[in-house]
Amino acid sequence: MGTSVQLTPLSGVHSENPLSYLLSLDGFNFLVDCGWNDFFDPELLQPLSRVSSTIDAVLLSHPDTVHLGALPYAMKQFGLSAPVYSTEPVHKLGLLTMYDHYLSRRQVSDFDLFSLDDIDAAFQNVTRLTYSQDYHLSGKGEGIVITPHVAGHLLGGTIWKITKDGEDVIYAVDFNHRKERHLNGTVLESFVRPAVLITDAYNALNNQPSTRQRDQEFLDAILRTLRGDGKVLLPVDTAGRVLELILILEQYWTQHHLSYPIAFLTNVATSTIEYAKSSLEWMIDSIGKSFEHTRDNVFVLKNFNIIINKKELEKLPEGPKVVLASMASLEEGFSHDIFVEWAVDSKNLVVFTERAQFGTLARMLQVDPPPKVVKVTMHKRVPLVGEELKAYEEEQNRIKKEEALKASLSKEDDLKASCIVPDKSLSDPMVIDSAGGLISSEVASPRIVGYRDVLIDGFVPPSTSVSPMFPFYENSREWDDFGEVINPDDYAIKEEDMLDPTSVAVLGGGLEDKFDEDSNDMLLDSKPSKVVSNELTVQVKCSLIYKDFEGRSDSRSIKTILAHVAPLKLVLVHGSAEATEHLKQHCLKNVCSHVYAPQIGETIDVTSDLCAYKVRLSERLMSNVLFKKLGDYEIAWIDGEVNETDGMLTLVPLSTGPPLHKSVLVGDLKLADFKQFLASKGVPAEFSKGFLRCGENITLRKVGDSKGATQQVGIEGPLTEEYYKIRELLYSQFYLL
Amino acid sequence: MASSGPAPSMKKRESSGSREGNQLIITPLGAGNEVGRSCVFMSYKNKTVLFDCGIHLAYSGMAALPYFDEIEPSTIDVLLVTHFHLDHAASLPYFLEKTTFKGRVFMTHATKAIYRLILSDYVKVSKGSVEDMLYNEQDIIQSMDKIEVIDFHQTLEVNGIRFWCYTAGHVLGAAMFMVDIAGVRVLYTGDYSREEDRHLRAAELPQFSPDVCVIESTYGVQLHQPRVVREKRFTDVIHNTVAQGGRVLIPAFALGRAQELLLILDEYWSAHPELHNIPIYYASPLAKRCMAVYQTYINAMNERVRAQFEVSNPFDFKHISSLKSIENLDDVGPSVVMASPGGLQSGLSRQLFDMWCQDKKNACVIPGYVVEGTLAKTIITEPKDVTLSNGLTVPLNMQVHYISFSAHADYGQTFEFLKDLMPPNIILVHGEANEMGRLKQKLLAQLPDKNTKILTPKNCQTVEMHFNSEKMAKAIGQLAEKIPKEGEHVNGLLVKKGFTYQIIAPEDLHIFTQLSTGNIAQRISVPYEGAFSVIRHRLKQIYESVEPLDDPTESPPALLVHDRVTVKQENTKCVSIQWSTDPISDMVSDSVVTVILNINRGIARVGVMGEGVTEEEMERTAEKVVLALLNSLFDDVKRVAGEEGKMVVSIDGVVATVDSKSGVVECENEGLKERLRTALRRIKSAVKPIPLQKISPFCYLERKL
Repeated sequence: MGTSVQLTPLSGVHSENPLSYLLSLDGFNFLVDCGWNDFFDPELLQPLSRVSSTIDAVLLSHPDTVHLGALPYAMKQFGLSAPVYSTEPVHKLGLLTMYDHYLSRRQVSDFDLFSLDDIDAAFQNVTRLTYSQDYHLSGKGEGIVITPHVAGHLLGGTIWKITKDGEDVIYAVDFNHRKERHLNGTVLESFVRPAVLITDAYNALNNQPSTRQRDQEFLDAILRTLRGDGKVLLPVDTAGRVLELILILEQYWTQHHLSYPIAFLTNVATSTIEYAKSSLEWMIDSIGKSFEHTRDNVFVLKNFNIIINKKELEKLPEGPKVVLASMASLEEGFSHDIFVEWAVDSKNLVVFTERAQFGTLARMLQVDPPPKVVKVTMHKRVPLVGEELKAYEEEQNRIKKEEALKASLSKEDDLKASCIVPDKSLSDPMVIDSAGGLISSEVASPRIVGYRDVLIDGFVPPSTSVSPMFPFYENSREWDDFGEVINPDDYAIKEEDMLDPTSVAVLGGGLEDKFDEDSNDMLLDSKPSKVVSNELTVQVKCSLIYKDFEGRSDSRSIKTILAHVAPLKLVLVHGSAEATEHLKQHCLKNVCSHVYAPQIGETIDVTSDLCAYKVRLSERLMSNVLFKKLGDYEIAWIDGEVNETDGMLTLVPLSTGPPLHKSVLVGDLKLADFKQFLASKGVPAEFSKGFLRCGENITLRKVGDSKGATQQVGIEGPLTEEYYKIRELLYSQFYLL
Repeated sequence: MASSGPAPSMKKRESSGSREGNQLIITPLGAGNEVGRSCVFMSYKNKTVLFDCGIHLAYSGMAALPYFDEIEPSTIDVLLVTHFHLDHAASLPYFLEKTTFKGRVFMTHATKAIYRLILSDYVKVSKGSVEDMLYNEQDIIQSMDKIEVIDFHQTLEVNGIRFWCYTAGHVLGAAMFMVDIAGVRVLYTGDYSREEDRHLRAAELPQFSPDVCVIESTYGVQLHQPRVVREKRFTDVIHNTVAQGGRVLIPAFALGRAQELLLILDEYWSAHPELHNIPIYYASPLAKRCMAVYQTYINAMNERVRAQFEVSNPFDFKHISSLKSIENLDDVGPSVVMASPGGLQSGLSRQLFDMWCQDKKNACVIPGYVVEGTLAKTIITEPKDVTLSNGLTVPLNMQVHYISFSAHADYGQTFEFLKDLMPPNIILVHGEANEMGRLKQKLLAQLPDKNTKILTPKNCQTVEMHFNSEKMAKAIGQLAEKIPKEGEHVNGLLVKKGFTYQIIAPEDLHIFTQLSTGNIAQRISVPYEGAFSVIRHRLKQIYESVEPLDDPTESPPALLVHDRVTVKQENTKCVSIQWSTDPISDMVSDSVVTVILNINRGIARVGVMGEGVTEEEMERTAEKVVLALLNSLFDDVKRVAGEEGKMVVSIDGVVATVDSKSGVVECENEGLKERLRTALRRIKSAVKPIPLQKISPFCYLERKL
C-alpha cells in the first residue's frame, strides 16, 4: 500500500565527496543533487554515468559545486536530459558559480571538460520554483508533489519535500537553523514524522562557538592585520557564503568608518551582487522589511570594490587591504594567485571561512600546525611572441594551405570546404596528423603538469580520504646537513603550449562584457597564446586562521533537530566515515530504530512498512463525534462500521450500541512544566532524584524514556486529600478519550 | 498531512440538504456592479477570507470605503490584497488600524513595497481637499508591520485556509489568489491581463480548476486591439503631434501602466534620432521613488526585462527626464509630458490640460481605463466645451485620443481564460453594471459548459452556494494492516488537523502526530492494621472477581480486584492500592479505599463477623435481604418452606412465585410478573457482587465525559 522508496548514493557517502544520490519513488527516479569537486575529477562521476539515462527528474539543493557542479558535464557526456528543478537563486547563483569555475580554470589551463555553452545549456531548462510551492509532477511522476523549503545555508538553498500519497520523503542536507544576516533559518523543524529523512553528517562532529564571539574574533583578527600594515585574503566561494561575509564586513566598515580598501574579486562579482540586490524576497524577513520601509537595499554596498579582474585590484591603493577572492580551495582562480603573492609576508593574513575540500591547498593549510612551505604551480596564459609566434603562424598558414589544397582536390565534397576555419582544423585529428611539426610535438608534450601538482611539506592525508585527483607522493624526504634534499627537476620551469584559443565556445549573452578583459582577449581573440606553468615553493609566513562561517547547523543542533523531526526512517549521507558513524549511533539510540548509511552504489529500500487506506466519513457518523482540541489537532474516538459501495469505503455509525474500548489518555506531560503548573495552583513541588515531590508526601515520576510509545507517569502517596487534589491537577494535563 | 486534500469534483455540485457550514458565501462589499473599492468577502466552514480592500476614487472620505459595516471585521481570518492600486489597497490602513480586524494580511513583496509609497502619496495629495481623512501617514507605517508577504506559488496555510497566488500580469506584483478551504477552491483574479507586455508576464492559467471563480469584468465584451497596433497608434499620434510643433499630454496613474508607456517611449526615441531634441517629461516624484522597487523585484517580471537587466537597467531611461512641478516646465516648444492623475481630476495633469486644451495643435492621449465621473471620461466623448478648474468654460480644441494600454483582460482573454479554467460557478465583479450584463449574456451563450452559473451580485448582495463536502479520512498504521470488509467495525482515534482526517490506533498516535498517549500509574497507601483476609471478604461481597495474585505463603498477600486494581498488604500497618488510570479503575479503587476505611472504622465488629463465614451462610443472608426488600415493595411475601430461595407473593388475590436464586418469576398476571422481575433484578444487582462483564453503563458514562 505504501509508496516504495529506494535510495542509491552515487557519490558523497562516508566521505566529504560531492553529493549525488538516486532516489526512486514507485519507479520514478530523482537525481538529488549533482555535485562535483573542485578538481573536476571525472572518476567521481562513474556511478552517475551508469544511471543517468534512467533519471526522470533532477533536484538541486544548493548553488555550489559540491551540489550541482557536475550538471553541465553530465548533461553533455552522460546524456542526462531529465527536467531539472531548483529554486530561482540556486539556478542563477549556480550558473554564476559554474561560470566562475570555468573562467578561472580556462585562464590558466586548457580546461575542456565542459564549455560555457554546456553550462548555459544545462541551466537553460531548469524549472524554477519558489519556497513552499507545491509542484505537481505530471506524466510518469503523476501524484508526486515536490516542494522546496528554506534550508538556510546558501541563498535559495533548499530542503526538498517529496510527497506521494501523503507520505513525505525529505531531503535535507546542509541546513542551518540559525538566522543570519541575510538568510532565514531552516524550516526543517516544522516537518514532523516524515516517512523518510535523508540528511548529512557533515557537521556531526563539529561544534561551534557562539556567533557573537566568532564574529568578534574574525573582525578583530582582520583589523589587527590591517593596523599592522598587512593585507588580508579571504578565499571565498563564488556566490554562496560570501554574501554573508560581505554583509558582515560592510556593516563593520560602516559602523567603524574604516577606510581600508576592501574588494570582492571573482570573475562574476558584479553579476553576483546585482543578483543579490534583486533577490531580497529570498533573504531574511528583516531585509525585506527594511527595503519596504526605506527602500534601502542591503546589497547596495558602500565600502566594497566589486571587481572582476586583477588589474582593477592593482588600481587599489598600496598598503593594507582586504580581498575576498574566489576560489575557496586556493587551487585556482584569483585567490590562488593572491595567496602566492601575499603568503610570503608575515604581516599578511589569510582567513579561511569554511572547511575546504579534501586534497586542496586550502585544506592543507587548515591543518594544525600549518605547513611552513608549500609548493604551488603557477600558470599563466601568455601570447606567443618572436620565434614561437612565427612558428605558429607558419604552422597555421601551412594548415590553411593544406586545407585549401585538400578542398580544391575534392571539390565535389563541398562539406569539407568548411574546414578552413582554423578551430575546426584543430579538432580534426586528420589535420593534426598532417600538420605535424611544432603543434603536434607540443601537444604531445606532457601538458598535464597543471593545477593538480601541488605539494606540501608534512602533509599526510588521512587514510579514509579518497581523492584520486590529488597525486600523493610517499613522504620519504631525506634531510642532510643543509636541510631537505631536493630534486632540482621539481623546480624546473616546464613550458607547454595550448590549443588554439579560438576553440573556446562563444560566451553566453550578456555576461561577456563582465568578464575579465584580459582573459577576454586571451579567450576570445584568435591571438595565439600558450599556458606557461612553473612550480614555486612558497614560504607560508603569513598568519592563517580558520573561522567557521559555513552556515551549517552544528552537531548539537543537528541532533536536537533530528530528535524533533523524528523521521520513521533516517538515511545519513555526506560526511566523513567517522562523523557518519557517530551520528548513526546517536540516532539509533535517540531518534529512531531505522537508520541507514549506505555505501556508494548500494541500493537501500526505505519503503515504509506503513499500511494505509482511505475511507469516507459519513455525515451521520460525524454529527455524533465530539472533537477535543489539542494544539493544532482535534481528536476524538470513533466507532464505525464499514460500508462498501463502488469500491469506496464509508464509515457509518454502528448499528449496535458502542462497544467497550480501552480508554486512552492523550497528552504529553513535562514534569518541569507540571511543577510550574502546580506552583501556580499553590502546591509546592520540587525535584529530588528524578522524582517530583509535590506537597507533603506525594511523589510523581516518569517511567521509561520519552522515546517509548506510551508515556508512563507514576503518582504515589498516602491516602490524603492532597493526593486527590494533585491527581485532579495531573488529570487536567491529559485528555481522556 | 501533505497537500492532497479531497479533490473537488469539477462539475455540477448539486445543492445538498444544507448543513450549517457547508454554505459558501460570497458578498462583494465593493466592486459589485461598479469599478472601484474592490472588496469581496467570502466564508465557508466558518473560515472567512476578504479579498482586496480598496477605495472608490470618485468618492471621498467614508463614502469611498467598501461596505465594511456589513461584516464583523474581527471574524476575518485572512485578508488577501491582489495589487497596489488604490481601488484595491487604499482602505487597508483604515481596515487594519481603525476596525476590530485581527486576522492576517498577505500581499506580494513588490505590492507591499509600492503600497507604502503609493498610500503615503495618496495621503499627501488628498490632504486639505478632504476633511475627514480616513487615516494618516502613521497609520500606514503601522499597517506595514501587520502585512505579511507571500511569493508567487508559495502555498501558505492559516487556520485551515490554504492559499497561494499566481501572476496576474496587471501591474508589478499583481496576483490572483486561489483559496482552498476543505477542498473547495475559490479563485479571485483581481485585475488581470493575459497579454505579455514589455515588462510583465501574462496572467498564468492556474493548474487546478476552481469551484468558484471571482473574476473582473472591467472591459466587458470589448476587444482590445493587438498590442503592436496600439503601440503604433500611440507612437504615431505622439510623433505627428510633436512633428507639427504640438505638445502631448499623457494623463496616467503614476505607477503600473506608466512604466510600460515610458518603456515604449524611451525605445521609440532611441530608434528615432530626429526626435532627440524633443523632451519627454515624466512628472511624478512618486514613480521616481518606486524605481528602486522596480529594479529590485525583477523576479516578478518577464524574461525579456530580466535579460535586459543582465546588460543594463531598462528602467534607467535615456530620453526621459523627470519633472518636479509645473514651474520647472520650460513650455516653449513641442514636448511630451506624462503626468498623474490619470483621471484629470486635479493635480499636475489637470494644470497642464487647462493650459493646453485650447490649442488644436496639442494632443491628449488617454492611455487607460478611465473611471466614470472623471474629466478624462468626459473628454473621451469629445465635447465642444470643457470647464477648467477655475470655473471658466472654454472650447476644447485639443485632439483627444483614447488608446487603451490598461492591462485588464478584454472579452477575448476573459473568454479563453474561463474556457480553459472551466469553473462551474463564475462571479463577475469590478465592472459597470451594463458591461457586466452584456458579458454575462455573451459568456452564457459561448461557454462550452452550459451548466456554468454566472452571477453578478451588487454590493452587499450575498451569493450562497452549497458544496457537498466529503470528509475523507486516512486510516494508517496498525489499524490499516488489513482493509476492512463490508460490515466490519473500525474503531480508533480520529485525528483532525486542518481539514484532513486520520484514523489511528492509540498505540500509533505518537508515530503519526506530535501527540502522545500517556498512562498514569497510581499507588496509594492506606493505613490498615487488621487482617488482610477481611479486606478480601468484603471486596468479594462487592466484586465478583477478586483473585489472589501471588503465592500467599511467600510474598505479602495481594489481590487483583475486578481485573484492574491490585491491593497489597505492605506491612502490618498499611495496605497499598495500585492501578493504572482510567475511569472504571478509578471508581473501583475508590470503592476499595472506602471498603478499607469502613473496615478500619468498625474493626472489631467486622473482625468477628468476617471470620469463618461460609458460603452457605452468605447465601442465607443474601436471601434474607432479598426477602426483606421484596416485602417492603410488595407487602405480602412469604418464603416457601423447604425450597431454597423460593418465595410467594400475593397481591389482591393474584399469586406469584419467585425464585430468588435463578430470578425466575411465575405469575398469571403479566403486569405483576414484569414488575416483579424488574424488582428482583435490581435487588440482585444491589445485593450480589458486581460481575466482571457488567460494565457497559460505565462505558456509556465515559463517552459522555
